[in-house]
Amino acid sequence: MGEVVLACEGLKKRYGDLWVLKGIDFEIERGQTKVIIGPSGSGKSTFLRLMGLLEPPTEGKIYFEGKDVYNSGLDLNMLRAKIGFVFQEPSLFRHLTALGNVKLGPKVVLKMKDDEAERKAMEALKTVKLEEWAHHYPAQLSGGQQQRVGIARALAMDPDIILFDEPTASLDIELTWEVIDVMKDLARRGVTMLVVTHELGFAKEVADEILFMDDGRIIESGPPEELLKNPKTPRAREFLRRLIGGV
Amino acid sequence: MFTLENFLFLLQGVPNTLAISFLSFALGFALGIPTAIVKQFSPYGLGYVADAYISVMRGIPVLVIMLLFHFGMAGIIPLFKSAFLSATFALGLRSGAFQSQIFRGAINAVGRQQMMAATSLGMSRWQAFRHVILPQAFIVALPGLGSEIALLIKDSSYAFVLGVLELTKYSDIVRKATRSFLYPYLIAAILYIIITFPVANYLDRLGSRLKTKYGLR
Ligand SMILES: Nc1ncnc2c1ncn2[C@@H]1O[C@H](COP(=O)(O)OP(=O)(O)OP(=O)(O)O)[C@@H](O)[C@H]1O
Ligand SMILES: [Mg+2]
Repeated sequence: MGEVVLACEGLKKRYGDLWVLKGIDFEIERGQTKVIIGPSGSGKSTFLRLMGLLEPPTEGKIYFEGKDVYNSGLDLNMLRAKIGFVFQEPSLFRHLTALGNVKLGPKVVLKMKDDEAERKAMEALKTVKLEEWAHHYPAQLSGGQQQRVGIARALAMDPDIILFDEPTASLDIELTWEVIDVMKDLARRGVTMLVVTHELGFAKEVADEILFMDDGRIIESGPPEELLKNPKTPRAREFLRRLIGGV
Repeated sequence: MFTLENFLFLLQGVPNTLAISFLSFALGFALGIPTAIVKQFSPYGLGYVADAYISVMRGIPVLVIMLLFHFGMAGIIPLFKSAFLSATFALGLRSGAFQSQIFRGAINAVGRQQMMAATSLGMSRWQAFRHVILPQAFIVALPGLGSEIALLIKDSSYAFVLGVLELTKYSDIVRKATRSFLYPYLIAAILYIIITFPVANYLDRLGSRLKTKYGLR
């Protein structure tokens, strides 16, 4: 059994009167890839933001490498630097080139020297096959290229885990593939990944586990072949029937 | 009769008009950025100080601030014995309040997603602000800053009341000397346009060009 990188216990989140997360227990080990699926509004993005330490939980605990994140006086920014995040929304820094985007974190947060940060950034851009686009601004890149720069930006920090929130949801199908290919590649290289996506091909090929989220809870989980073929809960069955049937 | 000589004489007011406008703009810039930042982060609960500053500057006519400085406060603050400096500081203080509003709007326009992306890399709020938000906010702010410079160039004419030898004062001198009532002011009006237009227009176009380049809205 590998080391647990990120975990949570009884995680709840409330916005005003609305409980968006209603008690989630979760853990992921080093090298694993886990995929979250579930209907719109079920709380997937919220769950990821909480696990990325971008928002505090209302109740419950989050553990990074076994340490209780919000109750042991840890420096949150230090931890965030170790948890990569790839967003659905365009999130590249628009005033910086692809290279500038990827090297900013290593420079500002990891305090690397400029040439060292640049080497690190070029390496990450190579991993997502964009080294030739290093000097382009986000506005000059396709949506798929932008997402890959976003992945490189996370990679350049040498994170212990990367969280992906529907990284291909706003992309055309061909652009989706180029992003998914990069992500598969990372999963095979042993990068620890927690991915919200409805690209079931990705889930089938590389996921160790799929989690089905509904109404603020993980109501079913299991290995892809099991959960996708024989969902136990009616909600998951219905959701998958619609997703695959495209209705 | 209004002659070429009168025109050349009138031109002598331009340097002071430019000096008051650009110095007060620089002062406003130096005040506007920290004010916007204080309003954004409210360090030590100081946000209300920024609010108070903005409200006060929005509420007092700039001419009254000038008169207050030069005639009312020269005894306490020797700097204000100079009419030129009184006018420049009055305009600069007001501009600081206005520019802070321009930067606030620009910071909001940059959007929360950029802040979130910076935070996810482990940047502190200040690091995110300095490396991600502010550079983009500058670009968004350019047209607003253009309008602010135009406003300062025009409002520098109030310095005439304090006796500063700027463009409006010179046109008034020429009016008295020549008894030509139309031309001195008309020429001054045209000169104001000639000064204002290129500056404001340049910042406008630079803003649009950079916004397109960087895909900012
Ligand atoms: N910052 C917020 N303030 C208030 N309500 C929020 C906030 N963020 C999310 N919500 C609400 O929480 C619920 C879950 O949202 P969330 O974005 O986590 O769902 P999701 O599963 O990611 O959905 P989608 O598939 O559409 O992305 C929604 O009802 C949403 O309106
Ligand atoms: Mg979502």
